[in-house]
Amino acid sequence: MSNATVVVVTSGKGGVGKTTTTAAIASALAKEGYQVCAIDFDVGLRNLDLIMGAERRVVFDLVNVVRGEASIKQALVRDKKLNNLYLLPASQTRDKDALTEEGVASVISELRMYFDWVICDSPAGIERGATLAMRHADEAIIVSNPEVSSVRDCDRIIGLLDAKTKIAEDGGRMPKHLMITRYDTERAKTGDMLATDDVVDILSVPLIGVVPESKDVLKASNVGLPITLSDENSPAAKAYTEAVRRLLGENIPVTIPEEKKGLFGKFFKGRAA
Amino acid sequence: MKFKGKSFIAIVLSPEPPFADWFREIDRIIERSPGFFIDRPIILDVRGTKIPIEELEQLLAQLGDRSIRVMGIDGVAGTRLKPGMPPSFSGGRLASDVDVPTPANAPAEASDGPEAKQADGSGTDGAAKGASGKARKATGETKTKASKVNGNSAPESEAWEASPASIASGSSIVITEPVRSGQSILHPEGDVTVIGSVSSGAEIIAGGSIHVYGALRGRALAGVSGKDSARIFCSKLDAELVSINGLYKVADDFDTALRNAPAQIRFENETLVFEELN
Repeated sequence: MSNATVVVVTSGKGGVGKTTTTAAIASALAKEGYQVCAIDFDVGLRNLDLIMGAERRVVFDLVNVVRGEASIKQALVRDKKLNNLYLLPASQTRDKDALTEEGVASVISELRMYFDWVICDSPAGIERGATLAMRHADEAIIVSNPEVSSVRDCDRIIGLLDAKTKIAEDGGRMPKHLMITRYDTERAKTGDMLATDDVVDILSVPLIGVVPESKDVLKASNVGLPITLSDENSPAAKAYTEAVRRLLGENIPVTIPEEKKGLFGKFFKGRAA
Repeated sequence: MKFKGKSFIAIVLSPEPPFADWFREIDRIIERSPGFFIDRPIILDVRGTKIPIEELEQLLAQLGDRSIRVMGIDGVAGTRLKPGMPPSFSGGRLASDVDVPTPANAPAEASDGPEAKQADGSGTDGAAKGASGKARKATGETKTKASKVNGNSAPESEAWEASPASIASGSSIVITEPVRSGQSILHPEGDVTVIGSVSSGAEIIAGGSIHVYGALRGRALAGVSGKDSARIFCSKLDAELVSINGLYKVADDFDTALRNAPAQIRFENETLVFEELN
């Protein structure tokens, strides 16, 4: 039984792509055939339901479950396309204080029994919501943009992952993966942006994927489909799919998006738009 | 003949009525850490309570039952004390709180630093968590002190409490993992060695020298206890600020030739001297 891997997607800073990453990773794992549950911890500012196109089917939410007002099975929303992908939405009307530590612990341990993977979408910041989201995780995906403020915030979060989580308190080390998102190939070339090597060097966390900045991602969000489901051949979707294979233990080199590919993508998107 | 002066940190007990509850609190501390009150100087502080001398006598007897030997009483005139009672003390400089240990912890050593306490139980929540091995104890020390200087760094100091990676050796500490943004390592007694990098937004404060086997991107303050022979060494200099014995320099004022180079910084003739290492 309880053999799910709980992964927290976190970053410290807002707007770097945590929710997009959560949705993309969760659906890519589901496509591999695993039972997957994505949890939105951003109580009060929920977005994951929109990105996953489930907003019209939310009845109960995480806060209801934590407070014992609904069972987990009532609150889980099944994905439209993949019947092994579920969402546990956040409440939009409450705030993060509505979550209790014991409540979250029992929700996670129950989900561990039903699923193979539980992906927690952490809110921005380092306060209650973020610390509760990471508290019971087995692994962490750190999402960073290639720019200094995002990198510094990630660094701060890594410090917390090594201090405030259950694993850390039990004397263990949480395995961490670095996902660089919104990587702009053109700006990388001109040096306007931190290079991936620099980010990896500063954070000293192994790289799991580099996702290029792309309009496909925005488009996918707007139609409510994770990028890995909406446009499988877009560079961003490919980057996420590759990242998931690495998460599953495959040893494949990380593809750094190249200028050529970027130009082609831009040209292609220009026509589509 | 010469008399020497020596200062010790005493634990200050301030009994609060109802005394039954207060003693329950004391018993809880003793239960968790039987040796906590043994062989430590203890002062009974009854200032402002106008306690009748009979009640004071009872208090002392009850403390005696628990093997807590009071060496002095603060707040009662010496003339009111009965024969056989500890002498009256007054004055005294207040030091900071002493941590009440949790079960696994050895009794906090008074010699650890300038710490004193009000044993009214209010400190129990903030008590350091179980530190058993030697390495962990040093970590705990770092933690306590970090939170003192850096009032706003409570979570970070916990970071060190939870991290098993520091190894103590004498008066220097070794940290075997990167120091992350927001973390603060404070070790006023000696050297700090970091195997890994010190991130932007992190801070190392050492009484002695600082050695960073990695990139130094945060702040490094060496020789803070007034030691100008302290030095800072790093394999890659990209610091926000470096300081030795209070004299500091910010990144903007560094020699650009040394940027990202392995470097040492020392104090000479009231200036900071930057030198490339090989």
